[in-house]
Amino acid sequence: MNQDTNSVPDTDDDLAGQYVLGALSPEEQAIFEARLTNNVELQKAVNQWQAHFLSITDRLDPLQAPQPLSARIERSLDELEQQSIKDAQKRSIKQPQVLSSFWQSLALWRGISATCLAVAMVFAIQLQTIEPIMSEPTYIAVLVAPENKTPGWVIQTSQNTNQMQLVPLAAVQIPEGKALQFWTKAEGWDAPVSLGLVKRGETLNVDINTLPPLTENQLFELTLEQETGSPTGKPTGPITSIGRGVIML
Amino acid sequence: MQLYEQESSRLLTVVMRILKNRPLAEDVVHDAFIKIWKNANTYHKDLGSARGWVYTLARNLALNALKYSQRQVLAEPDFLLNLCDDKVLETEDHPDELSELAQDPLAQASLQVCLEHLEPERKLCVLHAYVDGYTQDEIATLLDKPLGTVKSWIKRSLRALKECLE
Repeated sequence: MNQDTNSVPDTDDDLAGQYVLGALSPEEQAIFEARLTNNVELQKAVNQWQAHFLSITDRLDPLQAPQPLSARIERSLDELEQQSIKDAQKRSIKQPQVLSSFWQSLALWRGISATCLAVAMVFAIQLQTIEPIMSEPTYIAVLVAPENKTPGWVIQTSQNTNQMQLVPLAAVQIPEGKALQFWTKAEGWDAPVSLGLVKRGETLNVDINTLPPLTENQLFELTLEQETGSPTGKPTGPITSIGRGVIML
Repeated sequence: MQLYEQESSRLLTVVMRILKNRPLAEDVVHDAFIKIWKNANTYHKDLGSARGWVYTLARNLALNALKYSQRQVLAEPDFLLNLCDDKVLETEDHPDELSELAQDPLAQASLQVCLEHLEPERKLCVLHAYVDGYTQDEIATLLDKPLGTVKSWIKRSLRALKECLE
């Protein structure tokens, strides 16, 4: 039986699975970890196995993380954050560079899960205190592509500024002569209301004082329309992103 | 800050299962968050599952911590086997709309299904290794099997799971 298994050499994917199960010998593990540091495919295989097996431990009855632990983590992260801000200021890093590292880490927070996505966004944005326009969001929505549920946009509002911002999470492709139109519809409304047109590479800001109060589960969507907007005042083109709002406080 | 409440509870559950020592588990979860924060910029989409990335990091910290801590090695076969049997339906009855959005529920469900194809003893080897973080030596002692058999079962089970998942 052993011979049978040993006769077929381990593929990288076999090794990745064994690594995740802790089934490599110390020597094998050391070699594997050395290869892992600069091998994207290998890291991907490990993360894939881990994600598969996680579906088992996700079924364990969850322990409540105690308040002191959360507070301790927050304190430590605050310290790190302060330190990194100081470092950034020392090196007088310009805004675009800071932003790019912001988006890189966002890829992680975004990928963790949609359940955590809204809060992860807040978390990621809070880390980015160098950018002063963001304040504590009170209402948030994540818009995803209807076909593959890829998060594409985040909507957030802040009481302080009375603004709702529609922020792209990735580069946005808008075909020539077209525009993305931003719509919302709360329960009980007859039809969606247009909140404006999204221009290439811009964050759309909407004054929330012009809107009825935002409600839990309110629908938001982006549709592909003519450059000047929908001719009928209602969505006519295909939906590119859709999501529902969550009240944060 | 709710990210901690959500993901730190899950991380604590996973780490605690491995370490069976609450203060140590809390230390590991704390350190894991610091490491995640420091390394977040090295994560990018090409690396696949972000949760996989986070848990690989956290589990490695937990397994390292084991070197300095004693723990009890327990069999609990019913508990482990139930973990991947009974609750499959239960979760399907209460779908979480949001978590369905980002994760691939098909991929998740399919590991449970694929595990069903393994013989119970082999399935236990895999579960002890993953859920409990037991070494193959510990599993061999626990199940009263030669180490070579356990090693071979784990390798074959991984191959079978991979074939099934594809």
